[in-house]
Amino acid sequence: MVIKVENLVKRYGDLVALDHLSLSVKEGEIFGLLGPNGSGKTTAINSILSLLQYDHGSIEIFGKPMTPEAYGIKRDIGVVMQNVAVYNELTVYDNIDYFCGLYVEGKEKRKKLVQEAIEFTGLQDFIGFYPKKLSGGLLRRLNIACGIAHKPKLIFLDEPTVAIDPQSRNKILEGIVELNRQGATIVYTSHYMEEVEQICTRIMILDKGRAIAQGTKDQLKDMITLGEKITVETSGITPEHIERLKRIPNVLSVEYNGVLVISSGKGQNNLEYVLEFFKKEGLEYGKIYSELPTLNDVFLEITGKELRD
Amino acid sequence: MQIFKLCMKVIKKKLPIMSIYIGVFVMLSLIMSSNISKETEKEPSFVESKANIAVIAEESTPLTEGLIKELEKNADFVEIEDDTEAIQDALYFRFATYILRIPEGFTQRFMSGEEVMLEKTVVPDSYTGVYIDMSVEKYLNTARLYVRNLKDIDINQLVEYVAGDMTKQTNLVVTVPEDKQVDFVYSNYFFNYFVYSLFSVLILGISTLMMVFNEDNLRKRNACSPIPAMRSSLQFFLAILVFTLVSWMIMVVCCVLFNLKNSININTVYFIINSFVYALSCAAMSFLIGNLIKGEGSLSAVTNVVALGSSFISGVFVPQELLGSTVLRIASFTPSYWFVNANNIIAKTSNFNLKKMEPVFSSMLIQLGFTVAFLAVALVVGKKKRYA
Repeated sequence: MVIKVENLVKRYGDLVALDHLSLSVKEGEIFGLLGPNGSGKTTAINSILSLLQYDHGSIEIFGKPMTPEAYGIKRDIGVVMQNVAVYNELTVYDNIDYFCGLYVEGKEKRKKLVQEAIEFTGLQDFIGFYPKKLSGGLLRRLNIACGIAHKPKLIFLDEPTVAIDPQSRNKILEGIVELNRQGATIVYTSHYMEEVEQICTRIMILDKGRAIAQGTKDQLKDMITLGEKITVETSGITPEHIERLKRIPNVLSVEYNGVLVISSGKGQNNLEYVLEFFKKEGLEYGKIYSELPTLNDVFLEITGKELRD
Repeated sequence: MQIFKLCMKVIKKKLPIMSIYIGVFVMLSLIMSSNISKETEKEPSFVESKANIAVIAEESTPLTEGLIKELEKNADFVEIEDDTEAIQDALYFRFATYILRIPEGFTQRFMSGEEVMLEKTVVPDSYTGVYIDMSVEKYLNTARLYVRNLKDIDINQLVEYVAGDMTKQTNLVVTVPEDKQVDFVYSNYFFNYFVYSLFSVLILGISTLMMVFNEDNLRKRNACSPIPAMRSSLQFFLAILVFTLVSWMIMVVCCVLFNLKNSININTVYFIINSFVYALSCAAMSFLIGNLIKGEGSLSAVTNVVALGSSFISGVFVPQELLGSTVLRIASFTPSYWFVNANNIIAKTSNFNLKKMEPVFSSMLIQLGFTVAFLAVALVVGKKKRYA
């Protein structure tokens, strides 16, 4: 195990930020911590990194207890903070060089690593720029470059794609997968379920400081009753139509709010039956599509609320 | 030495702003110090000056001619009309500062032993008036002495005797002890101005560093690194110390270079030691301020309030002798007061010995006490902030 956390409890006064959180991360994984804002993702990361004093529990990294003085462990960890942590007084190059220098002592070796980090994040054209001159996307890339330049074995990325354009986001996600391919174990937090679904090999869903589910994305989706969701853009649906649609075998629910959504359980696909129903009733429709459940559906079924609530 | 190098880079980035501060402060200090120095310069020699006077003589006798000839030594005569308005104008526009009227019959009454007076019209509170008064009285008193003691003395003889007496002079040599020949007024003022200049630069530099390093995200990010907290603190303090030393040295070198002829003496050594002790307490106070303030916006305001405020109450802009006891009592709770106090004693001291230097050493010790106190408070505040 690269990370082993057991029964972690962190309180801020009366608020329980982490409620007996236990997790383990294996070598070579991209472990995703998914949850809405305020669910405890950053508190969990900060506690694991010993940046916060926690009230109860134990944390081990690389098989050794993690403490603020565990400098040997810290040497192999890379951290990309949620808020960009770079020095406005240093250029892009100097920032990467500084953070890399905290881990690597040899000047020549560091120079090579800094150069690799610059190329990896595509910042070649901006090395002489000061952070204030960079766009949000470039700033995030600089933040990542500072966190990974020393080639750590374990990398924590706390919401690295917040508030950036889709192009930069894709570049960052591709980069994370590449880092993993090069051998790094990744802990990735986000409240964007699509990102987590796209890159993480294993996912833990957090809500109110508690782990409400964990596993691969398929395992998580298997945990819920929802198997298929059919959406139809149509008009003229009456309560009688809804009642008859509910009688289709395996249908769990039917909702109509300008758009008709029919949710079915696992085992049987109902798209054919729905099409037949529309034909028989002589109802007109625009788009009609079928979707498999998402992590949002998992979160919705477990907590009763949307992931973005 | 990553942290130390980073501090130097941050300071380098802020150098243009600080250079402006240092440049302006050094220039201001130089100009003000040299002006004050000139004003208070003690002249060890005596130079005669002449006053513009007008004499309106209503009679012309050997005695009045003798008096005018004697006055010529100390005065330049100007011609004015014997008219009230013309006299008032002449005095108002300083065309003449002293107008002497010799009334008709003056000589006759003087020779007969009467107490006669000359009329004068002068610019009020004019020192030249006193000067001319003395000359007139000296001449007439000498003449009166002859008239009273030599009955039937001829007027020409009298004038001759008095003129002879007036030529007699006593040589006066003004000597100043060798160690008092050096002018410390300049150094005293320049070093006192450290309270404003050095203090401002240190607050600006050190507080900027503190703000950069106390920024929450960067502090957390650095805490993730394998550099032990003690090592990074030591590097940080080393950077502050180097910055303080360099700033202090630049200012000391400026003072010594611009006043080289008066700087090679033991007083300057004491000035420098005292300023070094003061630089340490400024650094400690800047460290505390850096822990207390939150944004760059408040930095310049705090710099001005603290540096200017302590300069005013500690006797930098206004000498301590002229400040009220309450103000001085309040000022004594700042290291600036003790720094200025020690400077003033050093400037007045010659023939150094342990007893004479006791108050200076006491002031330095009090400054060091402030340094320790500021550091202790700053460390407590910093720790509280980190764990808040």
